[in-house]
Amino acid sequence: MIRAGALEKGSAILMKGEPFVVVEREFVNPGKGSAFVRLKLKSPSSGRVLRETMKTQDQVEDITVEDKECQYLYADTESYHFMDTDTYDQFEIPMQGFEDYKLLMMDGETYKIIMWEDKPLDIKIPYKVVYTVVDAPEAVKGDTVQGASKMVTIETGLKVKVPIFIKEGEKIMVNTETKEYVERVNS
Amino acid sequence: MKRAVVQKRNKILAAIRRFFNERDYLEVETPVLSPFLIPESTIEIFETTYYRELQGAHQLYLTPSPEIFMKKLIAEGFGNIFQMTKSFRNYEQAGKEHNPEFTMLEWYTEEASAEDNIPVAEELLRTLVSEMDTSGPAFLEPPFKRMSMEEVFFENTGIDLVKVQSFSLLKEAALRKGYSLPGKNETWESLFNRIFLTEVEPVLPGEKPLVLYNYPAQIDCLAADIPGTPWKDRWELYAGGIEVANCYTEETNPAKVSAFMQKEYAQKAAHSLVIPDTDTTFSSLFTPQYPRCSGVALGVDRLVRLLTGEDSIEGVILFPLSAILKT
Repeated sequence: MIRAGALEKGSAILMKGEPFVVVEREFVNPGKGSAFVRLKLKSPSSGRVLRETMKTQDQVEDITVEDKECQYLYADTESYHFMDTDTYDQFEIPMQGFEDYKLLMMDGETYKIIMWEDKPLDIKIPYKVVYTVVDAPEAVKGDTVQGASKMVTIETGLKVKVPIFIKEGEKIMVNTETKEYVERVNS
Repeated sequence: MKRAVVQKRNKILAAIRRFFNERDYLEVETPVLSPFLIPESTIEIFETTYYRELQGAHQLYLTPSPEIFMKKLIAEGFGNIFQMTKSFRNYEQAGKEHNPEFTMLEWYTEEASAEDNIPVAEELLRTLVSEMDTSGPAFLEPPFKRMSMEEVFFENTGIDLVKVQSFSLLKEAALRKGYSLPGKNETWESLFNRIFLTEVEPVLPGEKPLVLYNYPAQIDCLAADIPGTPWKDRWELYAGGIEVANCYTEETNPAKVSAFMQKEYAQKAAHSLVIPDTDTTFSSLFTPQYPRCSGVALGVDRLVRLLTGEDSIEGVILFPLSAILKT
């Protein structure tokens, strides 16, 4: 058992006998209320998405999972396709509930897949990842009111708010949880 | 945090002071270090030690709000008062809406109910929005939308709160809706909050500030009961999807204040990390001469965040704790 407040994005738990992965986690303290954690859970087997709010002190049943190194091949409209780098077996993970990952994963990269009883439960995206900027508008001169920032597109298609000095072709570090710019990376 | 944000923040704080001064609210400064607090079971406290040569050490606590001292000033006949002060809350996840130390605006209006404080809050927001150089965000501008908890809860969950006043009835309704009931310490209040936070709060209307009024009396606090109803006379102000302020018609019945303190202290003693001493004289403030009054507590950092268009309070606080700790 684990405290609900200790759950993280990617934690795997059992709800009414069905495995769920924590997709989103947010702490909330309502006015005159105790500490709660608002969870978006996804069942990888059925694709079912569950929203639950629990007291941070509540106990939930966590499950033991293992990581497996896999190469991300591509995405079609419904699934992500992976290859186990040990056995070369190919398999897919349904996209439903994990749509966000499409804008974070790079074709050909290796990711850790979280496995439970030989079934893929979730894909682990590193907390901070370096991406190449593929489209960046020229900075508008004198635009300091908006905190001197602009939107650029990175190689996965994700749009990120960055400082105006970032140029096309440069590499930037992105926080994959908040999808926010962290820093420029000099290569 | 950028220099320009500090300037905007200063402008907002100056406008808040001007607003209350113009309306004859007296600005006060009360301690943030106190040997006793009003026990509140849901708030975790920071404690520290005062060392003295002669009398020895004394436990002190950082106040989670200035309420205790401001209510003493009202008892002393200070009239309408306000202050902006640092307040401290432990064990809250630092981030977009929380920093362990934050700036709170608290004002008390005498001979007023919670409802009477709504126009004060509306005028305050109107003033602050007009202070901003660019046209202020429309979702902060009055008039506020007003909805009762009863109607907003029914609309979004199909549960009629009046009909589920007992824990077993609310639990039945929650089970029918597919809620899991993991908590062995589940109470009416925690179950209500779980349903509210799952189904209601995320979809609260946000085009205008929202006053959500009449909270269930099962949520214990120092707001007065509305006689003949299951509600307490209080409201919360939501703006831009976040809780910005709360307001009570203050409970001034000494027996009820004393009962609240005892119950909350017992809960704190059972569950809290830090168990601060209670001000045992607090309920005796509420003599028959104590004026009818209403207090509002407003999270200044959250309001500055909304007014400046930042997406986290950490963007409007210099050196937010999580940045210093780098976790």
